[in-house]
Amino acid sequence: MRERERAAEARRPQRGERSSFSLSALPPRPLRLCGFSFSLSLALLWSSGARANPLDAFGFGSRQTAMGGAVAADVSDFSAGYYNPAGLAKAQGFELSVGYFRADHFLYMNGKNSNVDPVKGMVGGAVVPGKVYNLPFAIGVGFHIPDDRLTRVRALAQDEPRWELYDNRNQRLWFGVNAAISPFPWLQLGGGVTFMAATLATLDISGYLDLLTPTDSSLRHEVNADLKMVAYPDFGARIEVSKDLALAVVYRGQFSLDLNVAANVLAGVGLGRSGSLTTLALGLQTDTIDSFLPQQVVVGGSWKLGETVHANLDLTWVNWGAYVPPVTRINTQLNVPPPQGGWPAGIAPPTTPAPTVVLPIEIHNQVVPHVGVEWRALSRRTWQGFVRGGYEFDKSPISAQTGSTNYVDRDRHAVSAGLGVRLIHPATVLPGDVRLDVHGQLSVLPTETTLKADASDLVGDYTAGGHIWNLGFTATVGF
Amino acid sequence: MGGTGAASSTGADAAYTNPALLSLVHRNVLTLGLTGAVFNLHADGTGLPGRVSVLPARAYVVGAEVPIPFGGMLKDRVAVGMVFYTPTDALLRGSILYPETPEFPLLADRAQSLAIRIGTGVDLGYGLRAGVGFAALAELVGSIDVINTAGNVGANVDDQLIATYAPTIGLAYDLPFDRAPDGSPRWRIGATWRGTLEATFAVNVDASKLSTLNLPVFNIAGVAQYDPSELSLEVAHQRDGWTFAAGFTWKHWSAYPGVFEPTILCPAGTDCAALTPPVIAYSDTLVPRAGAEKVFALPRHTSVRARAGFFLEPTPVPGSLPSSQAYNQSTQGLVDVPTRFFDTTRYVFSLGAGVDLGDYGPFTVDVWAQYHVLAPTTVSTCAGGQCAPDPGPAKLSGNVLAYGLLAGVRF
Repeated sequence: MRERERAAEARRPQRGERSSFSLSALPPRPLRLCGFSFSLSLALLWSSGARANPLDAFGFGSRQTAMGGAVAADVSDFSAGYYNPAGLAKAQGFELSVGYFRADHFLYMNGKNSNVDPVKGMVGGAVVPGKVYNLPFAIGVGFHIPDDRLTRVRALAQDEPRWELYDNRNQRLWFGVNAAISPFPWLQLGGGVTFMAATLATLDISGYLDLLTPTDSSLRHEVNADLKMVAYPDFGARIEVSKDLALAVVYRGQFSLDLNVAANVLAGVGLGRSGSLTTLALGLQTDTIDSFLPQQVVVGGSWKLGETVHANLDLTWVNWGAYVPPVTRINTQLNVPPPQGGWPAGIAPPTTPAPTVVLPIEIHNQVVPHVGVEWRALSRRTWQGFVRGGYEFDKSPISAQTGSTNYVDRDRHAVSAGLGVRLIHPATVLPGDVRLDVHGQLSVLPTETTLKADASDLVGDYTAGGHIWNLGFTATVGF
Repeated sequence: MGGTGAASSTGADAAYTNPALLSLVHRNVLTLGLTGAVFNLHADGTGLPGRVSVLPARAYVVGAEVPIPFGGMLKDRVAVGMVFYTPTDALLRGSILYPETPEFPLLADRAQSLAIRIGTGVDLGYGLRAGVGFAALAELVGSIDVINTAGNVGANVDDQLIATYAPTIGLAYDLPFDRAPDGSPRWRIGATWRGTLEATFAVNVDASKLSTLNLPVFNIAGVAQYDPSELSLEVAHQRDGWTFAAGFTWKHWSAYPGVFEPTILCPAGTDCAALTPPVIAYSDTLVPRAGAEKVFALPRHTSVRARAGFFLEPTPVPGSLPSSQAYNQSTQGLVDVPTRFFDTTRYVFSLGAGVDLGDYGPFTVDVWAQYHVLAPTTVSTCAGGQCAPDPGPAKLSGNVLAYGLLAGVRF
């Protein structure tokens, strides 16, 4: 069985301090776990599944990741650009954040590690609050920059087994710019765009092709390549229903990385320097769609359960039904007239091969529940300590691969935890605070066996499952 | 203001002109704008088209300037600035044409490239300011491998966008003499160094399994965008609402490797008969600049600004271009062809105006225009070769009109 896997994906992180709803502003209040438990139960009744990009899969910022990505109504730092742009309007001061995370996959097929590449890189951003016509206004910039590359488009043959939602989809940059305004103290509205790039290229090659010693061919090329900007929108709203309850709704647009390359070869063909036997006209068009990000709608809430505890719940609807798998569509045209006198001995007449038919993927929309809790465990005059936990359940949106395609996926249970410390006015030059947060997240993908409908399938039945570790930190300086 | 700014910028554009001057920023400002350019480029002579077709350039501009509110000794001394120039048609255009195709690659395609510049500046005291920043671009590398399974063809694709960065370092010094009555400096000198920013395009196409033909791996590669390292020096003077700036920029074009790469890479350690692209001897250039701005103060803190400037942009391309090689199907052999990689010295005149609404609203609006006159130039395009027919000299001329509108909001 061929193997080659990688992957990663599905979740979200957080952080969210300065919001009026954050723990530093929470007044004393008795715990109200009943409401929280009800919400959690309700959420788990829903099916789920969402690993749409590196931030969906592994979170954006350590606080957010530790809280299971359930922060749509409880975020006001750089990560608000991803979780809910409206939260930016709750920022109390200028903030700069920087962090790092690394997610390592231990995903197996038939007991063999699929060697899915790790997802690792910097995260960070800035929030700049201010006022326009006396209304709170803020802009935010957020980024995740992978260590190894900005983006990667990788398409494999559809029958080649790969962890479809983890293999390559998380190997990409995230860069978002957002703005928010608070027209009323109880309402924040925000929106922005996230930028990516698609590639269109035409490659023309001409000259003389030496079939005997190809590297002696006298060829040259010209290129017309464009990196096209792809911007997808996101917007959100946050409503403070009471001092203890905030609700949020967020929309994230659909996106994909397209790579369309057309290669055209027009050359004389011969053996050595004896001159052309015939001509070759080859047209090769490859169209690849990768890193498809389905549109999402998030409904979230944040409940204050006491002076030092609050709990959050987000439900994310993911339009997986629109998913396009990263399999290259190829179209070839090969025209090589037979030489006068026929083909020399040892060279078989070339023919134009038929393109592989790309089979549709069966994939379904899902709702993903995220829950998170934050507890301000310690509070001193000059510093505070936080403990956080979270959970997310991603039910696989991909149907069992019983046919000839092998888009491998499994349900994912992601349990996360984190610690945070906030230093209050730590130095004269830092009139705000300094925060350091760390997180750990374990994703478990239960091992299951996929049985092929056709006993003669080249890949055959397979057992797949594993786990993913995600560790990281985020440091923030607030002013 | 003629592209000056190393000693005179006061906003987000300092992330490019001199990040040290970002330390002059004391308010949050977000700027949005549109810019564009239309090209009227001519190449006349044997086998040349006359007017060279170039698509107009259009781009969005987003700028932000943000003071960092440190306390204590750093209070009001540090700020950051960001400028994003985003073409509307393509973030990055790599146009690497056959050498005999007439083109002005240093002029037209360079306007079709995303530019991201971020910097921070610090007021060190005693009139001295320092700043650092960077510019970023993306380059494409990868492979397309055609696979053939039982007569059905598919492809494995693996392409990556990789970031390339170039540093920017700036210094500025307020000269201690001739101060204004309020003690503010009237003379400032600035120096900026910008590193080389280069974006390549490199995709290997392996179609050897497509058919029974023994096809080589095609190395489709070249330099899609290139900004040489630069050093700018400038002096600025302010008096009675006037700002004057003058300086020059040295550009290290001689390090430019050119756009072309061979299509077939010889195996390591061996010599093969693959074609090699022409090598053009680029030369360093020195760009003189000058500009002026007048501020007309109006009631309620409103103001109107008028600006003008000029710079001379010498061409780094030599007047004699080497011939290139191509395969001629009719003669079944290699022939010399002209190299038509054109550029000329440009005289650039600029005008601009701005309005600050002051107490009427936190908004500013600026407009500007540049008119580039291409100095009529004659170049030979087949030096050292025997092109047939003889292309003769190419006569280059033309003009470029660039323009922009920017709106800013303080918050």
